[in-house]
Amino acid sequence: MKVMNAATFTVEREDHTVGNVIRMQLHRDPSVLFAGYRLPHPLQYRLVVKIQTTSQSSPMQAYNLAITDLIKELDHLKAVFEHETSQKQADYY
Amino acid sequence: MDNVSYQRFPTVRIRDIKDDVLKFELRDTDASIANALRRIMIAEVPTLAIDLVEIESNSSVLNDEFLAHRLGLIPIVSDRAMEMRLSRDCDACDGDGRCEYCSIEFHLSVKCTGDQTLDVTSLDLVSSDPSIIPVDAAGRAADMGGFESNDTRGILIVKLRKGQELKLRAIARKGIGKDHAKWSPAATVTFQYEPEIHINEALMETLTLEEKQEWIDSSPTKVFELDPVSQQVVVVDPEAYTYDEEVLKKAEAMGKPGLVEIYSKEDSFIFTVESTGAIKASQMFLNAIEILKSKLDAVRLSFDTEEADDQFGELGAHMRGGGI
Repeated sequence: MKVMNAATFTVEREDHTVGNVIRMQLHRDPSVLFAGYRLPHPLQYRLVVKIQTTSQSSPMQAYNLAITDLIKELDHLKAVFEHETSQKQADYY
Repeated sequence: MDNVSYQRFPTVRIRDIKDDVLKFELRDTDASIANALRRIMIAEVPTLAIDLVEIESNSSVLNDEFLAHRLGLIPIVSDRAMEMRLSRDCDACDGDGRCEYCSIEFHLSVKCTGDQTLDVTSLDLVSSDPSIIPVDAAGRAADMGGFESNDTRGILIVKLRKGQELKLRAIARKGIGKDHAKWSPAATVTFQYEPEIHINEALMETLTLEEKQEWIDSSPTKVFELDPVSQQVVVVDPEAYTYDEEVLKKAEAMGKPGLVEIYSKEDSFIFTVESTGAIKASQMFLNAIEILKSKLDAVRLSFDTEEADDQFGELGAHMRGGGI
């Protein structure tokens, strides 16, 4: 049974650290109908991500968009944290 | 191509920052990011640790591999670790440990000549690079005129009797906690959800003073307190709440369900980061962010997969009933 706009990605050498982050970010995209991840076996270091989107977008686009947004969010977090630490050091002296 | 972005904008408020302990609040982000950063801080932030030990002479009471194991666990100041190469990726050296890009050499040469027992500590390890030394030695050097407590005597490796000798050469390499716990820079990294506590004042008023005190005491940790002046129950430390539901059960047992409402804010976390001293706690967090970014970049789809996307689109169109 063929499903429209659905894809399964296998990511080698990654685990929950990355899988859960990508999955939660995919959930924020309204064009994503289904997003899930699993580790097929705990002794094997790979994960499988399943995405289904509306016809507005495609699984590949949704996946790449999720990663781009996550990297932007981490850049923002890093800037905020560095700003806070420099402030705290300034208060120290 | 639409330019939508579904990123969040996290905020950070630092509560306490010291060299080896960092306590801060992280808000407006998802639990998966907080957990990912915690996992990376424990297992994937690289540090330096002794990995190869060549023993020239050992007449101590501990055998060679025992000593090598103990040497490996000594934390080494690893500020340069992020820039160094992993030994297996280094093409400049032939793996014998004399390469300055991927390894640091230590020497240890001690002989007990006096009648007293000689303690061999991490202070006796002599490094080939003066900026990369075991952690306690760094603390000693920086703590001029500070307190002379037991902590600044260096990590004990072995004790020698008169006539016993220890002479070895150790090579430290870069690695990550996933490989072996000696490379983990984190002592503990924890985060908790910030609780939000609402006391139903109207219901609280129907309790007598003894009942209020009894209810407060039913909580294993000190979350509430009876204000002696106003005779009201106040929240003294919301974060001491360990999400056991003792107070809720007690309220129900007293016949007053709904006396207090406690729920955790889903996007607000309180992190406590404790480092072994190899890397500063704040630097560990920054390194973890960098590593998560590079991991995500590595799993991005390549360009040819995006082109295959177009074929998918055509297939879809074909199946939807268009085309031949």
